Amino acid sequence: MPAIVRIVDLVKNYYLGGQTVHVLQGLNLSFDEGDFVALMGPSGSGKSTLLNVLGCLDRLTSGQYFLGDVDVSEMSDDQLSEVRSTYLGFIFQSYNLLPQYTVVENVELPLLYQGIKLDEATKSRCVALAELVGLGDRLDHRPLQLSGGQQQRVAIARSLVNDPHLILGDEPTGNLDTKTSVEIMQMLRELNRSGKTIIMVTHENDIAEWARRVVRLRDGRVESDVRNDTRTIAEMGR
Amino acid sequence: MSASQPGLNPYLLGGLGAGALVVLLGWLFLSGRIGHGGTSAKLRRSVSLAVKSLWLHKLRSFLSVLGIIIGTCSVIALMSFGEGSMQDALEDIKRQGATNIIVRSVKPPDDSATASRGFVTTYGLTRDDIGQFDAFGASVSRVVPMRVFPTEVRYLERILSNGRVIATTPDYQQVNKLELSRGRFLVEADDTELDNYCVLGAEAADKLFPYEDPIGQSVGMRSHFFRVIGVIKDRMPTGGTGGSQAAENFNRDIYIPISTSRRRFGEVIFTRTSGSRSAEKVDVSQVTLTVDAQVDTPEGRATVKAVGDEVKAILEKRHARKDYDITVPLDKLEEAERAQARFTALMAMIASISLVVGGIGIMNIMLATVTERTREIGIRRALGAKRKDIILQFLVEAVVQTTIGGLCGAVIGVTAVYAIPGAWDVLRGWEWVSGPALPAKLHVTSIFLSVCVSVLVGVCFGLYPAWRAAKLDPIEALRHV
Repeated sequence: MPAIVRIVDLVKNYYLGGQTVHVLQGLNLSFDEGDFVALMGPSGSGKSTLLNVLGCLDRLTSGQYFLGDVDVSEMSDDQLSEVRSTYLGFIFQSYNLLPQYTVVENVELPLLYQGIKLDEATKSRCVALAELVGLGDRLDHRPLQLSGGQQQRVAIARSLVNDPHLILGDEPTGNLDTKTSVEIMQMLRELNRSGKTIIMVTHENDIAEWARRVVRLRDGRVESDVRNDTRTIAEMGR
Repeated sequence: MSASQPGLNPYLLGGLGAGALVVLLGWLFLSGRIGHGGTSAKLRRSVSLAVKSLWLHKLRSFLSVLGIIIGTCSVIALMSFGEGSMQDALEDIKRQGATNIIVRSVKPPDDSATASRGFVTTYGLTRDDIGQFDAFGASVSRVVPMRVFPTEVRYLERILSNGRVIATTPDYQQVNKLELSRGRFLVEADDTELDNYCVLGAEAADKLFPYEDPIGQSVGMRSHFFRVIGVIKDRMPTGGTGGSQAAENFNRDIYIPISTSRRRFGEVIFTRTSGSRSAEKVDVSQVTLTVDAQVDTPEGRATVKAVGDEVKAILEKRHARKDYDITVPLDKLEEAERAQARFTALMAMIASISLVVGGIGIMNIMLATVTERTREIGIRRALGAKRKDIILQFLVEAVVQTTIGGLCGAVIGVTAVYAIPGAWDVLRGWEWVSGPALPAKLHVTSIFLSVCVSVLVGVCFGLYPAWRAAKLDPIEALRHV
């Protein structure tokens, strides 16, 4: 499997009130295409910062970040936006849907910034994605009329609409109860099996168990990097 | 020359505003967007999104555009009322005859001493002077001389003491645009046959003949009797427009043929003023030349001015003392037009202050909106929106607000221009208010101007909040609650 994400000597510092906080201290990681990775670690370990860097939302202080073959660490703000728009899909802990838009319009949102023409074809694609996540009967609902699990499913549909190379999840089940969490994770696993690369941040072990590979961070360094493919196979019957 | 000037400035301003707007928006859309092909679709979508998010906060959006609505509406209303009242004044001047040149005999100031001693003073225009004016040929269509006698007019025991007897030629009617209510005006034959005919002004007729039909009756002036052959329609006095021309009230005038006046009353005009007698020999009190030209064209105006200069040159050559006075109403017309242009510009300026205030209101609410929607901005940025897209979104929102506000204000303003004078008339009819009618003429340019300015206000005052929104760090914005 070719590496879809490769980071070399990744350093990220924050400057807070004149003090330098060393969040990521020289990470070297590589994620394969089609992998399902859980980033774990205690608060302040830098897992969220790493996800932001991977999502091209944050700049790195030094080091290199290759997305596919492209070095995105030197890109301009506009180019990073373009990368997010074309190659990445985001799923957030708090869903981050726009309250004034309907389900279909929320799913459509990433296409708005791709410079492509929105027509019936894109619309039917959004409807198909909403049906895929099981919201075919709630196309014209607003986010506030949906439950948390349903909102997160809209977010998953939204992350898929631009057919991304990489889906990034920031504690996608953080706000959900156990039953709904399982539904969401099943959905993510289905996506992974259909070939999508997923990297998610979580601090719950039972959520991390759904992933094929678990990377634990501590104090800005990799603490452990375990593949639990065997476990996932064992869970398949669940 | 200044015919096009009052209209030019607002057009220029409006054009500049619209041009700047188009360039700015065009730059925003086209820079980096060519090749993707979705420019107009993108704009349409941005507008519909803006309308959608404005619709979420109906009351707030309405309140924030209220300033723009009031501003636009007051620009249109003020400019229209200004235009209306000024046109009223201009009509007044035109009624005097803007193509006329009026030359009057004026008693030179140094002769007042001789006059008081009882000698006959000779001054003013002569019949020979008038003969000189024939040199103008076709460019002057009428030369109307007149002699004025302040004298009593009697009918039976009724006396009109403050009337003016004016001896003139038939052309006087056209020159002063007099309309007859009864009978006829003087004709050429009255003059050649030295008929004792007279035409009464409306008020004079009313005073002398309150009950009878004046036509065919004889009125007495000095020792002669004149038969009434016509009555002039009641007419508004012309306003005193400054300069040498006093306000003229035509309603107390009595017109007689000029040759008759010379034969019956002689060349010397006697006047009695507060006990003392004075005698003056004046051939002609006033001459009105009507130039054959259109005042609406620059060429026509030039012709009128050229004739005016020529008249001045002739009289300067023939009169050693300055015992005449030349009035060109066109000068006053142009002066008034310049005043109108200044006045209208001032009105527009005052009213545009409220547009600026409205713009500040928009900016205030847009800044609040940006803070409130920080998270939305973060989401959009995470999903691939560029800084430019965020700027566009908030700018379009501001411009949509001010454009809608401007259009609403224009509708209200135009309605006000038609409704307020009507309502005023109704109130006057009920005698709840007093005062003259409100003249209003819809100032069409001001509609385009004010709507353009309000769109421009949206761009100017929307730019900073939009820039603030685009400047936000995506991660910070996403973390915002």
